[in-house]
Amino acid sequence: MLSTFHGLEAARRAMMAQQAALYTTGHNIANANTEGYTRQRVQLEATPPFPIPGLNRPNIPGQMGTGVEAKSVERVREYFLDVQYRGENSKLGYWEARADAVAKMEDIMNEPSDSGLAKTMDQFWQALQDLSTHPENEGARSVVRQRGLAVTETFHYLSNSLTQIRTDLGTQIGVTVTEVNSLLKQISDINARIAEIEPNGYLPNDLYDERDRLVDELSKFIDIQVENRPVGGNASKAAEGMYDVYIRNGNEKVYLVQGRNASSISFPDGSDVDGDNVNEVPPDTGVGALDMGGTTVSVSSLPNGNLRGLVEGYGHKDGTDANGQPIVKGLYPGMLANLDKLAYTFGTLFNAVHEQGHGLNGNTGIAFFSGLNQVNGAAKMIDLASDIDDLANIAAATKAGQSGNGNNAINLANVRSLLLSNTTVSLQDGIMVNLASLRLPLTSGTVETNYQGWIGQLGVAGEQANRMKSNSEILRQSVEEKRQSVSSVSLDEEMMNMIKFQHAYNAAARQITVIDEMLDKIINGMGVVGR
Amino acid sequence: MRITQSMLANNMLKQITRSYEKLDQYQTQLSTGKKITRPSDDPVVAMKGIAYRSNLAEVEQFKRNFSEAYNWVENSDSALDKATQALQRIRELVVQASNDTYEETQRQAIAKEVRQLTEHLVTIANTKVGDKYIFNGAQTTEPPVTVNADGTIAVSTNDQQLNIELAKGVYIPVNIPPSTAFGAGNGLFSDLQDLAASLENPSTTGDELTGYLDKLDNHLTHLLGVRAELGARMNRIELMEDRIDSQQVIAEKMLSDNEDVDLEKVITDLKTQESVHRAALAVGARVIQPTLVDFLR
Repeated sequence: MLSTFHGLEAARRAMMAQQAALYTTGHNIANANTEGYTRQRVQLEATPPFPIPGLNRPNIPGQMGTGVEAKSVERVREYFLDVQYRGENSKLGYWEARADAVAKMEDIMNEPSDSGLAKTMDQFWQALQDLSTHPENEGARSVVRQRGLAVTETFHYLSNSLTQIRTDLGTQIGVTVTEVNSLLKQISDINARIAEIEPNGYLPNDLYDERDRLVDELSKFIDIQVENRPVGGNASKAAEGMYDVYIRNGNEKVYLVQGRNASSISFPDGSDVDGDNVNEVPPDTGVGALDMGGTTVSVSSLPNGNLRGLVEGYGHKDGTDANGQPIVKGLYPGMLANLDKLAYTFGTLFNAVHEQGHGLNGNTGIAFFSGLNQVNGAAKMIDLASDIDDLANIAAATKAGQSGNGNNAINLANVRSLLLSNTTVSLQDGIMVNLASLRLPLTSGTVETNYQGWIGQLGVAGEQANRMKSNSEILRQSVEEKRQSVSSVSLDEEMMNMIKFQHAYNAAARQITVIDEMLDKIINGMGVVGR
Repeated sequence: MRITQSMLANNMLKQITRSYEKLDQYQTQLSTGKKITRPSDDPVVAMKGIAYRSNLAEVEQFKRNFSEAYNWVENSDSALDKATQALQRIRELVVQASNDTYEETQRQAIAKEVRQLTEHLVTIANTKVGDKYIFNGAQTTEPPVTVNADGTIAVSTNDQQLNIELAKGVYIPVNIPPSTAFGAGNGLFSDLQDLAASLENPSTTGDELTGYLDKLDNHLTHLLGVRAELGARMNRIELMEDRIDSQQVIAEKMLSDNEDVDLEKVITDLKTQESVHRAALAVGARVIQPTLVDFLR
């Protein structure tokens, strides 16, 4: 037997369910522009019909519907797109860091231009040519000295500026590591909150959104993978559980977040600058390895992402050289080492020619450049020898006591184009240079072509980084678009839903009026015959 | 595909940003006049750019060296021209004096003139251009000819060639060594001093004086030979300068072809991008505006 008030109950449920849907619509509209927000839908479900089959069921025809209820509020989201997005975001992070590092280097090298190292050297060679035509002239000698000074200063400037940017990269790595560790901590905190809510059968959608947003952010820095870990209890089927975040180190999974626990990443040989007992800044000598959640991960297997781009720019240790000194590879250490080689080769070769010439006062065996004791650091150390303060010591002549002899100045001007692959070079007036005995670090091309080659390499590295950055940006954008297509709020759609739910709500209310009228008839209008 | 308002807004923003990037690129190209501003814009252009600049700097330096070479050769030639004139005058005087009818006082006067002209030749040999003695080999800070206390004249033996590099690896000697111009040891000057002494000596016969004509002719021929060589050298320098001139034009052209923008192309691209940009803005303004909210009452 159906209850008299069955219809009222069904209509009341309908009103409540439609109201819940309407409120969710309002929540969606309110968050239409919230970063990381996923639109939510109320899952409406017909309530179990009456009667429930059983021995004592009332004998009525068929089952009578009992109305509707809001079963759950779920996010409309596709997990697969998240995985794709994070993969692309990591690549973009990597290429962005690299493109940025190259761009800064290009700014410093400032080639091709009228103020780069190439131009400064060109002017030096020109001054030597002028000296060759006026060897007895103090002015020409003074110009050679000044231009030589300009070359050494340009070497210093380039080396110092690159070192400065490299130090900045180290600081940036520190900030990134701190941020990554903070994100890991936040994700584990959200995991903990989710683990408290889910066993009660609720779906903490807004926490899911926040957690996904944090994981998205994290993916920019390191290419991470996510696994779900169910929390148990009375969790809904749609519950997402806790996220375990890990990276792949070869075939091994290295966990950074496990449920409520977050580990951190650090540089075992680095330094702690903010007193939190995490060494977030890499050592000056280059990154040896990273500690990720207690596992040592080498730079070569560091997953994609901004952090890897920064570390590659900053430099990492890669084996040891013949003297047992660590070899540091990377964008900035590479260019710094190249500049050292160039300064050493240029200065040593120039000295070798200069020492064989004679000054205005007949002096010979005088070095033009000083500070060239070793290749390492030569770009910082190269300087004019103090002997050159006396302009008469500039060895323009090939023979002693010949004030008008500028042949060695020509020899010096031609150092620019000496082939470094030669074992010996003979110059004007029988001056020979034994290149093999100088043990120059550059052994092919000329001083000039080596430099041009590095600028070319820098350009190619930059071109590739820019291209890959723009490619991965487009890919990420396309995935993001797909994701938005699924998850973002459409105001039109919400307006439609609003009308839909409003009408359903109104209709349910009207149903109550109908039942009210019916009951009025039964209660007040019946049994009054003849009154 | 389901499209939402936020997607439209984001997309529009991205497109407009991209459009601005292009406008910025054209603006940079137009204001610098260069296709590229950094190596990554085009590594090949950048690398070539450095090489072409070096090349151009070298060529320009050689051009500068030319003026120095001309300076040497022209000044040497002009000095030697003066020397030739002086010698010719002396020759005329000798022809006069060899006439036996000349009296002693007349010969004395000629002797005086010869001595003056000899001093003049010393001055010519010690010609200085700027701060250099041009006839003293590599010893340009010392005069090549010195008059000793006893009146004898010594010519230095500094015959080192002075080279100027006028093209890659091409060294042109620009100086005339003192021994070549004025005779080794003190050839010319001792002959002239002998001549003056003979003129002053009353017992010198006309025939003896005529003997000096051969010597003078020898010196004159020698000077002419040196000047002919200078002329030839000058010719060679001029030819080389022609070549370097065209090399400079080529180097400048290569530099320009490599990195200078094609203005017409960039301006056209800019105008095209400008209209695309306007269209993007207009479309954005239209698409973003209306939603169902505006129509539902």
